Amino acid sequence: MGKRSASLKQLRTPYVTGIFAKYKMQIAILAIFLMLWLIFFTINPSGFSNPYTYTAMLSVAPFTIIPALSLTYVIILGEIDLSFPSVMALGALVLTLTWKTFGATPLGLLLALSVGLLAGLLNGILVTKFQIPSLIATIGTMFLWRGFVLVVTEGFGIPLGEYRGLPIYEMLVGRIGTIPVQIIWTIVIALALWVILNFHKFGAYVYYTGDNRVAAKMLGINTDKVIISVFMIHGAIAAFAGVLATLEMATFWPALGEIYLLKSIASVIVGGTPVTGGIGTIFGSFIGGLILELIETGILAVGVTGFWIRLVHGLVIIIALIAQVLIRRSELRRMRVVE
Amino acid sequence: MSEEKYIVKTVNLVKRFGDVVALKGVNFKVRVNEIVGLVGDNGAGKSTLVKILAGVYAPTEGEIIIKGQRFKRLTPKKAYELGIVLIHQERTLSENHTIWRNIFMGRELTGPLGFLRISEMRERAQKLLSEIGLKAISSDFPVKYLSGGYKQGVQISRALCFEADLIILDEPTIQLSLAEVQRVLEYVRELKKRGKSSIFISHNIYHVYPVADKFVILDRGKIVGEFLKKDLTPEDLSHIMISIARTGRVPPEYREINLIGS
Repeated sequence: MGKRSASLKQLRTPYVTGIFAKYKMQIAILAIFLMLWLIFFTINPSGFSNPYTYTAMLSVAPFTIIPALSLTYVIILGEIDLSFPSVMALGALVLTLTWKTFGATPLGLLLALSVGLLAGLLNGILVTKFQIPSLIATIGTMFLWRGFVLVVTEGFGIPLGEYRGLPIYEMLVGRIGTIPVQIIWTIVIALALWVILNFHKFGAYVYYTGDNRVAAKMLGINTDKVIISVFMIHGAIAAFAGVLATLEMATFWPALGEIYLLKSIASVIVGGTPVTGGIGTIFGSFIGGLILELIETGILAVGVTGFWIRLVHGLVIIIALIAQVLIRRSELRRMRVVE
Repeated sequence: MSEEKYIVKTVNLVKRFGDVVALKGVNFKVRVNEIVGLVGDNGAGKSTLVKILAGVYAPTEGEIIIKGQRFKRLTPKKAYELGIVLIHQERTLSENHTIWRNIFMGRELTGPLGFLRISEMRERAQKLLSEIGLKAISSDFPVKYLSGGYKQGVQISRALCFEADLIILDEPTIQLSLAEVQRVLEYVRELKKRGKSSIFISHNIYHVYPVADKFVILDRGKIVGEFLKKDLTPEDLSHIMISIARTGRVPPEYREINLIGS
């Protein structure tokens, strides 16, 4: 009796009531971010009290974070997408060519997003209808879209400086005071994806499809539709990130996106979303991306060579992963119902 | 005879897997609000039979009649829509998510634009849990931290929530502790109280006996015995089972009460 009532008491209380217990993982990620910031601030207080340091960081961080946000959905599904950097380039190329032909209008953006949706649709169909593992399928589409971009541009960059100052340009990558507009877009996308994941039926289906696909199917959830939709959303968002990156640099580069492949995936992983699927948070990926960008900014501001960036990235990824394992283990020990 | 009284009825059901004949013309019936204990040795065809009812397998020959509607075969979705739920250990749970999410999985209550009515689902889940005797558990608890018996409870709550009419429990007591077995038996009694029907598969006669109204004995793809609980003691049932395993036949002294062949 004693043992049983103890286990029931355990069931009732800690998990639900304690905010700290429930959001442990997110708090740990935030703590890593703040600790890093504190370290950099201590080493270089003048650099890290200068607002321009943050402007610089926040003007480029979105290109890592935005794809990481929608990639979080893909990874929650238990899938992966390696083609999004190529889709970033593809979307940006479509916008560039449309603007060069018809002038800088929203049409370019609309076409870029549509192409992103279609690229995602192709990934989704390969994964669901042809049952090709996403790791393999998206290697194929990664080469396909990158190849397409290289063939069309013959490998040359396309300058876009002439459109600077136009309202549409400023709306996408302008500045409000010292705040880069693209970080506001990042926050808007993060909020939208967070709301859908946690409070909408679609988000619930994304979780269940990733957690137990057989069960989801048996309970009448159209998992193929969920997977295709997620790849499409991810495609459109990657194309949007590509457009932002291109406009920020005021030049279209055919290699656009390649550096974000591992950085965006690392953001999701550092953020506490396991590649096994079923769980994960948008908040984690957002902070995960910020952590990677903070390291880049911090290393440069501290004044050592950029070669250190990779090394510290690696260290932080490993520390974050160990922290996650420890948190999950302690939870398992504490919560297991014995009876 | 009216078919309305039966929630499920099969007509000469045959299932072949290549050369193996798993079911050899099975006529199986479950009445409305009846708990049928489906017993038999390994390989007798119990799981095959219920998987056909749940739409997992298509029968090779024969018909399935559900609430008077005739079917050549079902799909899992169709069976589900007809109110047949197969509870198979832990397979249909999303373990990383909360109890309330699991109970409403696939049939979420939503408001405008498809947003979840979370507090309403939580409350209803909590109410269902307390109705089947799991008052102490918060519906916010993740399923993966529950023991086997609780997990069965979550699946049964889901079946009740979806207004299922026939709940099939495939070996629900396997790998459970004594206390947990009692809990699962409580769930089954609750199903009966609510006017539901159930098929309870078990190796263990002492688990089925207390809750079943009728026992159906399968042996090598055929129904060899069908007995009402009032005609038998658990010892009788055990004796019959052993005799079937040895000789393939129901002992002569029980033939009069056997509903098969009488």
